[in-house]
Amino acid sequence: MFSTLKLTALESIRYRGLWGHWSWLAHRISGLAILSFLVIHVWDTANAHFLPGLYQWSLEFFKYPLVAVGEIALMAAVLYHAINGIRITILDFKPELWQHQRTSAMISWGLFAVVFIPIAILMFSTLVGHCSELAAEGATCWRIPPLSAFQPFSEIHELPH
Amino acid sequence: MATITGVTRRTADVSNQNQLERYAFLFMRLTGSGLLILAVGHMLIQHVLNSSSNLTIQFVAGQWNSWGWKTYDMLLLVFAITHGFNGLRGVLEDYIHNDTAMTWIKRVLFVFCIITIVWAGFAISTFDPSKFN
Repeated sequence: MFSTLKLTALESIRYRGLWGHWSWLAHRISGLAILSFLVIHVWDTANAHFLPGLYQWSLEFFKYPLVAVGEIALMAAVLYHAINGIRITILDFKPELWQHQRTSAMISWGLFAVVFIPIAILMFSTLVGHCSELAAEGATCWRIPPLSAFQPFSEIHELPH
Repeated sequence: MATITGVTRRTADVSNQNQLERYAFLFMRLTGSGLLILAVGHMLIQHVLNSSSNLTIQFVAGQWNSWGWKTYDMLLLVFAITHGFNGLRGVLEDYIHNDTAMTWIKRVLFVFCIITIVWAGFAISTFDPSKFN
């Protein structure tokens, strides 16, 4: 099993299928990345009902700058997966368009860049704004509040700042 | 004449039983189209128009005070989880060729998928916003 995995990983890099290959690879990786976060996100959000205190802590955890950068990466994954997904669906139902598959892959990447770049700039400036706001108050965004501040998890807590 | 090397031939079961794969294929395109609005919409609303940097549990409670948002999130939950796990199954089937192992992996994924939807679906539908005022 792991030997096939290793072979697949190596061949995925070595194989020179160019545009179509990169699209396939990016679709797969973005899909797996989204699913990993989705499972965490769904179980975490369910805590808003089951363990609101723990959910409040996780909301603070998601504000940590490195996690917020991960949020921008998640945005990239969702947008690329969505745009390339439209391309796949159209090609599946209109096979005659397959002769344009290379162009369609290029269009997907272009469209992704046009949509993602402004959104990424916006999200990043929101993050910087949030951190400088805290810094102005003498606080910092580089600190995750301890879990113990939100115990018992079954209760709703006042935020520290 | 050119020689073709490295061709893998696998037998394909085209009996009625395998119509399931055809439905899985259509299911991915259908839920994918739904998620185009639900998931991309969710990302734009929650991460661009709103932001995680000022998100509080009170804000979430405010949204879940409306049946519209509860329905949106419930649909998103079902579509995203089923689409995601079916996608994962597809990826795993590409690399794991041991049928016994794959059967068990599929069972585990299926059960986990159902538990996740029931657990989170229960949370969304029974969430009581009045506790957060």
